[in-house]
Amino acid sequence: MNEEEGGAPAGVTRRTAIGGTVAVGSALLLLDAERVEATVQSSPPPRAGATLAIRPIVNGRAAPVTIDPRTSLLDLLRERLGLTGAKKGCDHGQCGACTVHVDGRRVASCLTLAAKTDGREVTTIEGLAEGDALHPMQQAFIDHDALQCGYCTPGQIMAAVACVREGNATDRPTIREYMSGNICRCGAYAGIVAAIEDVAKKGRRV
Amino acid sequence: MTSAPFPDRPRVDAREKVLGQAQYAADVAVPGLLYAMLVPATIAKGSVRSVPVDAAMRVAGVVRVLTASDFPPPPAGGAGGPPPPPTITDQIAYRGQPVALVVAETLEAAIEGAEAIRPTYAAMAFVATIEGDGVEPQPVEPSTGGDADAAMARAVTRHEAEYVSPAQHHNPIEMLSTTAVWEGGVLTVYEGTQGSNMAKGALMRTLRLSADQVVVKSPQIGGGFGQKGGAQRQTAIVARAAMLLGRPVKLVVPRGQIFHNATFRPKNRHRIEIGADAEGRMIAVRYDADQQQSRQGQFPPAYHESPPMMYGIADYHGTAANLRIDTQAPGYMRAPTPHPSSFAFDSAVDEMAVKLGIDPLAFRLKHRATRDPIDDKPFSTHFLHECLTEGARRFGWDKRPLAAGATVRPDGTQVGWGVGCGAYPANVHPTIATLRIGADGTTRFAAAGHEMGQGIRSTIEQVLVRELAIDPAGLEIAIGDTSVAPQHVTAGSWGTASAVIAAERAAASAKAAMADLLAGRTPPAGNLHRQLATVRRPSIQVEVTTTGPGQGAKEVERLRQGGMAVSGPVYPQFTSFSYIAHFVEVHVEPRTRRIRVPRVVSVADCGRVISPRTAASQVRGGVVWAISACLREATEVDPRYGGWLNNDLADYVVAVNADIGEIDVAFVDQPDNMFNALGAKGLGEVAMTGCAAAVANAVYHATGKRLREMPFRIENLL
Repeated sequence: MNEEEGGAPAGVTRRTAIGGTVAVGSALLLLDAERVEATVQSSPPPRAGATLAIRPIVNGRAAPVTIDPRTSLLDLLRERLGLTGAKKGCDHGQCGACTVHVDGRRVASCLTLAAKTDGREVTTIEGLAEGDALHPMQQAFIDHDALQCGYCTPGQIMAAVACVREGNATDRPTIREYMSGNICRCGAYAGIVAAIEDVAKKGRRV
Repeated sequence: MTSAPFPDRPRVDAREKVLGQAQYAADVAVPGLLYAMLVPATIAKGSVRSVPVDAAMRVAGVVRVLTASDFPPPPAGGAGGPPPPPTITDQIAYRGQPVALVVAETLEAAIEGAEAIRPTYAAMAFVATIEGDGVEPQPVEPSTGGDADAAMARAVTRHEAEYVSPAQHHNPIEMLSTTAVWEGGVLTVYEGTQGSNMAKGALMRTLRLSADQVVVKSPQIGGGFGQKGGAQRQTAIVARAAMLLGRPVKLVVPRGQIFHNATFRPKNRHRIEIGADAEGRMIAVRYDADQQQSRQGQFPPAYHESPPMMYGIADYHGTAANLRIDTQAPGYMRAPTPHPSSFAFDSAVDEMAVKLGIDPLAFRLKHRATRDPIDDKPFSTHFLHECLTEGARRFGWDKRPLAAGATVRPDGTQVGWGVGCGAYPANVHPTIATLRIGADGTTRFAAAGHEMGQGIRSTIEQVLVRELAIDPAGLEIAIGDTSVAPQHVTAGSWGTASAVIAAERAAASAKAAMADLLAGRTPPAGNLHRQLATVRRPSIQVEVTTTGPGQGAKEVERLRQGGMAVSGPVYPQFTSFSYIAHFVEVHVEPRTRRIRVPRVVSVADCGRVISPRTAASQVRGGVVWAISACLREATEVDPRYGGWLNNDLADYVVAVNADIGEIDVAFVDQPDNMFNALGAKGLGEVAMTGCAAAVANAVYHATGKRLREMPFRIENLL
């Protein structure tokens, strides 16, 4: 799934990623260093196997980091950038707990090589609210108790936002179908569907 | 003491959860962290001959490989409950057992290192399935009330059949993980566990540490369902690595390895005979159950916990047995024995109703239980009839045709309506709680309990906010941490009843302390925080100890020692169970024969509902679990090599959003004041019971075909 997200961004091909060639340099990336420091943990000292420098834009801030080319986007977010909202539930793209947006599209970050996100916009659950104001989908999840343990919730919410943006939140059966890549083992599906329906019906831009 | 209904309030930790800020064990940031990966055994039984580590050590970033020789010998058995799980040993009891732990600077290096290790083994013959040769049957004590043989001889109508429930795995979405920090002679472990006390006890015994050298923190659990109730296999292994290396170590166990090392619901079988008299009343039950079991496993085949508590059948004889084979130990998985036994028993009850030509709802309502026939005690409360009556009303049961196969839509879809009931013991453990209210607007309640989404924090908040004029925004509920209060395993639906009575008692004690402080003066204006500020006291703090019916100093001491201190469902004066009735509509598609469940109505008797919103979600979750259990889930043993074949979430199929329709939930909401002052019984487990039977009964009503083995698949309806 999400293989089309796998197309190499400008500057990084499979060969350069695997070979560890440093491939940087997108005109899009004008880095505001101080703001990056404020929002994304700075990378620790060089580590074993870290040969590939990438510069994804994570929640609106450039996050330059040198990685082991095998690193998944999920492990980059969680273990290097301190963004632990996206969760590891299977590491196989089977559960959806790691769902984030890359250039506005939902992807399983455990199946996405971090190398592929060089120069791309990555949005995680931490980037959804604006300051203290919750995103309407976050509020709807609270209102409909669309969660229990909360572990799959960040992935559910990122998928739910995408579901609305894709135009797939038209009715309950369609919502259920387009939310079936995200397993909720606690069984909060009824609340999840109600939350998405609520947001979609209000017609708010999400 | 008050036991009025509670208001609808949002889940207390919903905001942090939707923000992605809730911290689960593997989210905790620890500087200087090393990453670990286990190497699983590729034989089903035997011993390890060698574990060559050179290839792994050559991987850049690998720091160390731990094998059996790096661990102290297993602790002696005896006092303190069951032995802790082994660490890494050379004796292999099941496929997938850990034989080495690779520790590296990065996760990628740890994985590469683990894959580079090729142990050699001396394999032995093994028994993989309960149908195979070499199974060791081991009967346990029967459960008997009255004289089932004599009553069966009087019966004029009999039904006899066998029902089967498959092996299943919990699969919470949070994978098992351990992060261990060894610093200044103190081991701190972050782990998603329902039993931080159990993890602590296992670490103390395995690694020879004293109580003040071990802290276990389980801040939020990403789903437990019983999988995280006992000490976990990887915990002491990871802790040992952290102690040997002097650096923190984290292991997130891959899901395929979890299938092999965590507990699971064992395959179980139920031969049931029910006899009814000339008035069409059930008067006798003979019921033999058995289950898959490991060679050393201790999960009891308690399949007679709930069936005798349902319908007032005085003459009951139940046997149960373990079937010991070579597997990892099975264990408690949501509604551990009452889910499969209620599937079997309430299917059998439905078959009896069909045999007698009576509507299955009317048949159940002919049977009202008032006494526990096994232990000969009255029930504290028993509102199953109220669940049935209200559920039938909400569902529109009166429009149901009696005959099976009577409702077929124009496209050929067969429609069926079924009812099923369940029960689950009301248990309780002692709690030692501290409550501190500050003039600065903060309140801190610390007690035993683990939050895994069931909403235990929300129930505690409900009670404290109702009883005390405090600011909910400044309320911290400190649970799941061995350093804040004596912890107890949170499972078996005993969490809420145990926690909320402590919260209420603490609130009463705090009110009394405040009254002492005011010494007869009129309380100043404002909430308790303002009042404290006005009288220039920074805070008040109280400690309370609460116990369940019949409990005393012995149980409190067991709690302090970190052991099991649960009582129930049989108490000195009464027996206490929660009940539920489910009404299910199924659609069977004409060509694919796929079973869909568009509509469920569930009404529960859990005593007083403490947190209406999270309680309703609990019941919906139980219904989803039951639908998933009876239509999807089965873990398949590999008879050739041992272990589990479908050990990931693509092949072990659980219910997804598109599998679930509308679920209407209601509660009887009558307090059980014999059980405790607030009248709360338990809910999370009972929610699942009886629902699989309701689906099976609905499938029968739709098609005329009786399915007696879960999961029900399209091939069963062709």
